[in-house]
Amino acid sequence: MTVELQSNDFIALADIALANPDLQQAVGSGTRGGYARRAEAMFAHSDEHGEFMRQQAAEAKRRALRQLPDLLETAEANLLANGWRVEWAEDAEQANQLALDIAARHGVRTVTKSKSMLSEELGVNHALEAAGLRVVETDLGEYIIQLNDETPSHIVAPVMHKTKDEIRDIFMRELGMAPTDDAEAMVAFARQMLREDFLSADMGVSGANFLIAETGSIGLVMNEGNGRMCTSLPRVHIALVGIEKIVETVEDYATLTQVLPRSSTGQSLTVYTNILNGPARSDEDDGPEFAYVILVDNGRSEIYATKYADALACIRCGACQNACPVYRSTGGHAYGWVYGGPIGAVLTPLFVGLENALPLPQASSLCGSCKQVCPVDIDLPRMLLDLRWDQVQAGESKAGWDAAMKLWAIGMTSPTRYALGGKAARAGQAVMGDFMPGPLGNWTRHRDFPDFAPKPFRQLWKERTPTLNPSPTKREGLA
Amino acid sequence: MTARERILSRLREARPPFAEVAPIADRRRMVPEREMTSRELTGQFIDAAEALGCFVYELDRGGAIEQIMELLDGDKSVLSWDEADLPLNDLHGALASLGVRVAQHNSGEVRVGLTGVSAALAATGSLVLESGAGRYRGASLLPDLHIALMRADQILPDLEGWTAMQAERAQAAFREASNTVIVSGPSKTADIGHQLVKGAHGPRELHILILPQA
Repeated sequence: MTVELQSNDFIALADIALANPDLQQAVGSGTRGGYARRAEAMFAHSDEHGEFMRQQAAEAKRRALRQLPDLLETAEANLLANGWRVEWAEDAEQANQLALDIAARHGVRTVTKSKSMLSEELGVNHALEAAGLRVVETDLGEYIIQLNDETPSHIVAPVMHKTKDEIRDIFMRELGMAPTDDAEAMVAFARQMLREDFLSADMGVSGANFLIAETGSIGLVMNEGNGRMCTSLPRVHIALVGIEKIVETVEDYATLTQVLPRSSTGQSLTVYTNILNGPARSDEDDGPEFAYVILVDNGRSEIYATKYADALACIRCGACQNACPVYRSTGGHAYGWVYGGPIGAVLTPLFVGLENALPLPQASSLCGSCKQVCPVDIDLPRMLLDLRWDQVQAGESKAGWDAAMKLWAIGMTSPTRYALGGKAARAGQAVMGDFMPGPLGNWTRHRDFPDFAPKPFRQLWKERTPTLNPSPTKREGLA
Repeated sequence: MTARERILSRLREARPPFAEVAPIADRRRMVPEREMTSRELTGQFIDAAEALGCFVYELDRGGAIEQIMELLDGDKSVLSWDEADLPLNDLHGALASLGVRVAQHNSGEVRVGLTGVSAALAATGSLVLESGAGRYRGASLLPDLHIALMRADQILPDLEGWTAMQAERAQAAFREASNTVIVSGPSKTADIGHQLVKGAHGPRELHILILPQA
């Protein structure tokens, strides 16, 4: 299923998620578990070392992005030397057309696909299916999502929002699985179902976690092994690679491919850390005969020219989603596009246009957890504030908000008016209790309004004895 | 202009958006280095691999063949790398004399796969497998049970140790194999109810047989 853009409905979608007890249970336990495992793995040796490695990873990504156009050319030359065929796509339409052309060229009928967030951006499954191809998602989570006609809700754990019981029901309904309450039995069942497809597929489609410029290698991380199947068994392999996936050296790759799983699932390395160097060599009996890299822009070069360029450093670990109090409550679907959580609240407006994702920069308490856990130190709270600024500049804020801010400014620019405002607010609270009137009630519907202090600060200050109130000039003298 | 030219020119026209980041003067390894004897290194590897759920054995030739037969548990066929890349001479002959034949490399229904390794990584309990002639990808992927044969002297400290060794060997060593996979434990998933289950699509069990130094 292709992701339908619904980001302007964030509030309504969040309400739906908040009212769903299964989702609350599943997302709550999934995110909290991931958060705890990350902290343990990143700082296994010491806090200082963990932080050092985070900065080493951050530096590697920044250095690569700074040289992006040059490194893309280096990577292309090395990819070609390894036997990859390299294609470039500016947008989803071009990327999907290239995939279709490749499929047609090689007489492909069945496609096995491993997990790729870029492919969700592109809607490549939909494009291939529309041309009559059979596309099978093979990551277990993505397989469940595909069976249930949904989209992934988490960058790393696509079916994080579903409980075991819901997944059992999907397998029973869609595939006729015998009833069971045992997760191992469900995994064994899915393994059996997908094995035939792995062995018979004509083409495998994967994403890429890293593109190493100096060697022309694709780096993939995975735990299930489905990605190895998709890139080893079919005759044709296509790797969809976002242009921001580039790293300069093997050394950088060694840092990043270890920081990624620690940050993501708390593993030192994923079960399979897979390095792909083109098609099978002439003396090899397995591996793809044809290996393609499609380098995809799809809006990245435009982000590159903005103050949000740093967001391109993201390595898609999902740590900010696990850490975010908003994501923990709403899950990923509420964000209404491919990426949820803090990184999604930043990337979605950049990819689809701010006017199509108005609530997302506000979908954050700016608590700063996302920056703190980011393995490449992206300043997500700063970007969310900048996006809010952009909204105001673009006149996208509501008229009521403007009126309130004007009123605030009037009150704040005169001591007399300020004191009067304080008195009025105290009197107001005495009447209204914890509920604010009018549109402000949206805020107090779910929260208690904090009590005003019985006496304002200005009055307390006046009541103090002169000895305890040194004059401002004296204080300056002491400083 | 082609898509390639348009993408590159858009990137080149952008004002370099990133402040100069200070280079990391003393790059570190993910797992801090420490001096170790070869025995300690082997011990670290075994501990790390077992923590991942691997079964690890230190065996001589006779013991290794016995262990393989036990794991085959009566099966008459096995997936395997060519003998040249296994640290046991004439293993296929020895297995044949015990009634076990090596199946076609891409058979999807064989239960046990045998491979060697290019290197092993002590810090993470990982195995480095490089594809090539006779080093089939499927042998470590398709079966339910993967048996990896290695020698104790193939153990390196960590991933950075392996990439550094590759770089020393030759500029192109890293990209020589069409596929290098670093295997850390049996295939896993936690997609169903966040519960860890082994054997998602790759092997459910990983048995590592460590033979003495060459």
